[in-house]
Amino acid sequence: MTASGVITGGWEFVWAAYGVTAAILIGYAVSVLARYRAQRRRRGEVRP
Amino acid sequence: MQGARLPSVMLALGLALLLWGSYWGLFLAPRETYMGDVQRIMYVHVPTAWNAMLALTFAFACAVLSLLRGDPRWDARLEAALEVGVTLSALLCLQGAIWAKPTWGVWWDWDPRLTTTAVLVFAFGAILALRQFVDDPVKRATWSAVAAIIAYADVPIVYFSVKWWNSLHQTQSSPETVSRAFHWPLRINAFGMLFVMSGLITLRARLAALRQEEELAGPLPAAAPRVASAAPGAGA
Repeated sequence: MTASGVITGGWEFVWAAYGVTAAILIGYAVSVLARYRAQRRRRGEVRP
Repeated sequence: MQGARLPSVMLALGLALLLWGSYWGLFLAPRETYMGDVQRIMYVHVPTAWNAMLALTFAFACAVLSLLRGDPRWDARLEAALEVGVTLSALLCLQGAIWAKPTWGVWWDWDPRLTTTAVLVFAFGAILALRQFVDDPVKRATWSAVAAIIAYADVPIVYFSVKWWNSLHQTQSSPETVSRAFHWPLRINAFGMLFVMSGLITLRARLAALRQEEELAGPLPAAAPRVASAAPGAGA
């Protein structure tokens, strides 16, 4: 930040925020899908 | 199965919208006057906040309907909305910390908005933990619905915390408080997150419903011998 109160740079924080968002959303979606498929497999609805 | 592809369609549509909105927010939207490029975090942070609150509001509605109707389907939806709501709220705290560092100089501050949001994550997370410890499905549904209704009191507190108390956090973001140049990427990502959230809740509710069916039917035939052999003294 300069003396003018304007923040300069900071792209690393922007990429970090978007990266964390993508990682958590994709990770959680994969986890739900995997648990759903495993549960259906237990019932014999889906072949392993 | 009717509507079997609905969650996949919602997730795919949500992902496409998030990619489009994020591209617009990262590369096409103008730089904010004071925060510079760091303000671009808003295009994921604010949609996450709106949808986390929406998921927990849906959880509240499911809790009320579960208590009133006693239908296990509302309990399955409650479990789904709780898990998705807690995940989005935790993500919200992480995004906020990343935005706080370059703007406030700290990753975290015990500011009213941040503190009430952390309380939200722990309160609803505790209900998910509670569900793991209760074997009786009826007690589990009742206790978690009552706890969700009580915990929901924190949601309006989170929303109004920036108005009620002196807060480092800016006031609620809305079309009135955000420059017109930033509207479109924000709206696109908000709808993208809405579709992702809805798809995840739908899929997670189906998973909870399958588990309920299995619970009511008792152990599967293939699992029964393993349970018997695992019992103390079995096979001796």
